Amino acid sequence: MMTATVSRWARVRDSFLWYSFKRDKVAIASFIVLLAMVLSAIFAPLLAPTDPYDLALIDIMNSELPPVGMSGADGAFPLGTDAQGRDMLSTILYGTRVSLMIGFGAVILQAALGIMFGLLAGYLGGRVDAILMRIADVQLSFSTLMVAIIVGAVFKASFGSLMFGEIAIYMLIFIIGVAEWPQIARTVRASVLAEKKKEYVDAAKVMGFRTNRIMFRHILPNTLSPIFVIGTVQIANAIISEAALSFLGLGMPETQPSLGSLIKSGFDYIQSGSWWITLLPGLVLVVLVLVINLLGDWLRDVMNPRLYKG
Amino acid sequence: MALLEVKNLDVRFAVRGGDLTALRGISFSLDKGERLGLVGESGAGKSVAAFSILNLIAQPGYIAGGQILFEGKDLAAMSERELRKIRGNRIAMIFQDPMMTLNPVLTIGTQMVEAIKAHRRISTKDARAIAVDKLRKVQIPSPEKRLDQYPHELSGGMRQRVIIAIALLLDPEIIIADEPTTALDVTIQAEIMALLLDLCEQENVALMLITHDLGVVSQVSQRMLVMYSGRIIEQGPTREIINDAQHPYTQGLINALPQMGEPGARLFQIPGAMPSLKNVPSGCPFNPRCSFATDECRRTMPEYVRAGNVDVACYEVERLIAQEQQAREVTP
Repeated sequence: MMTATVSRWARVRDSFLWYSFKRDKVAIASFIVLLAMVLSAIFAPLLAPTDPYDLALIDIMNSELPPVGMSGADGAFPLGTDAQGRDMLSTILYGTRVSLMIGFGAVILQAALGIMFGLLAGYLGGRVDAILMRIADVQLSFSTLMVAIIVGAVFKASFGSLMFGEIAIYMLIFIIGVAEWPQIARTVRASVLAEKKKEYVDAAKVMGFRTNRIMFRHILPNTLSPIFVIGTVQIANAIISEAALSFLGLGMPETQPSLGSLIKSGFDYIQSGSWWITLLPGLVLVVLVLVINLLGDWLRDVMNPRLYKG
Repeated sequence: MALLEVKNLDVRFAVRGGDLTALRGISFSLDKGERLGLVGESGAGKSVAAFSILNLIAQPGYIAGGQILFEGKDLAAMSERELRKIRGNRIAMIFQDPMMTLNPVLTIGTQMVEAIKAHRRISTKDARAIAVDKLRKVQIPSPEKRLDQYPHELSGGMRQRVIIAIALLLDPEIIIADEPTTALDVTIQAEIMALLLDLCEQENVALMLITHDLGVVSQVSQRMLVMYSGRIIEQGPTREIINDAQHPYTQGLINALPQMGEPGARLFQIPGAMPSLKNVPSGCPFNPRCSFATDECRRTMPEYVRAGNVDVACYEVERLIAQEQQAREVTP
């Protein structure tokens, strides 16, 4: 067992992926920033000075306090407070957590749907392919936001605001995941079409393997690199979609703010001088999306099969 | 009863504007432990023949008629479930390019264990033991270590050995080898061929060797088939065909071997090229390139005639045999 783990680590250390990562300063920097953000989001309950979900801790008298370094700042709130008197640092930490959860959750859902339909369409071809891809085309012809707004509005109207607040996070994951699966399905289908002509697939058929086995065990691992690249970019997209929905008031409720709903809640006060309520979460959002996209770019360069043969 | 008997097999490809016939009336048999060579130019239908034996011709191809009897059961009429039990298990296949046949993202061990487990209910540990044993049989050094390696960590010759080991995993009755050495270095070719032969002999496995290398066929196989444009035009004992080819096409092939010419002289070649499936000439498909072609050849497809132990489809051979008989009758 020991030898297996050692050789696995050695394999990672000797791999082209690790080699190119070590040499790419942008990738390293992005990775460190992303890791820091993910970790602080995961450990938000430990790191945050206060719990923004706990209404008992909020004092309206503390509302709209500026960040430290400006006149009128309170040392207890290093990044200031929002209009309700919540500590900005804590809300941003918790908000990043919500945004990341929605981003990853939506992409996992997208990937599950996209991989499944893409594999079926690409491998089985014919009628299955035609039907699945037409569904994907139809779906792509609606914009994600439009679908999400309609579904979100219907949900909100039928469940009521309170109930909606509780299920909002799952609903956002569901909406964004379902709305974006064709992106992944198309990519998977394209690589499956290329892979299934290769001889190892013939060899697998000749070995008497079942179709399912050939699809999931033999072809799927060979199409993973484009899925990784697209998946990374899609996380950023999902976070942005969520922010946009929240900004329109159809996303996370004020009581459990994501980065998007924080930006929105501060937007009303930006004219009155409280710029930090909008700007700080906005900055975090931009940095988060930027580092994910930079990592996605790096992954695409490394995993491009035309540049690098595995 | 022969182990494998193919009777009048027709394979067609459904394409726009009608069907193309890829194989026409293919009949041959393969006995237990026998070595059969299948030769022909590219596009003659050798690989299609190999795949159709396993009933695995890809769309739009289909078996239009005939039987493929394996131990008396017709593979052409079998369900997919029954076919899966035979593929890999009873009839194995080796492909041309060892770089492409192994899955690049799975270790050798995973691929071998998976192949065993697809057909037998045994533990991973036992399956690994079988895999190691077979790798040792194909003379791969330190086989336990190879199991954890990926295909790209092995050389071409090594990979082809692994592929042979995979073909042998379930002790099949028949191995179909589709140009197993074409993609290898010349020095490795002979080694791999010798290994394959040895193993087939040891385990009493029937080998169907598909190749365009007459040299290999003459050394390896006991009987051979010559294919041209989807038809078998000559079949019989290898030695007889190589020494005294009957069909003008086979004669041409043999004369085209570099060994046949004078040193320094230009190599012989058969004029023209094999017709594509779209415009196969009427009558004997070889007639446009044949120096003996008559109107009869252009009109109708010749039937098989027997010359010694060889079956040939050629009117010229038919005429020669008739002449010989006449001569024998005139001078008693």
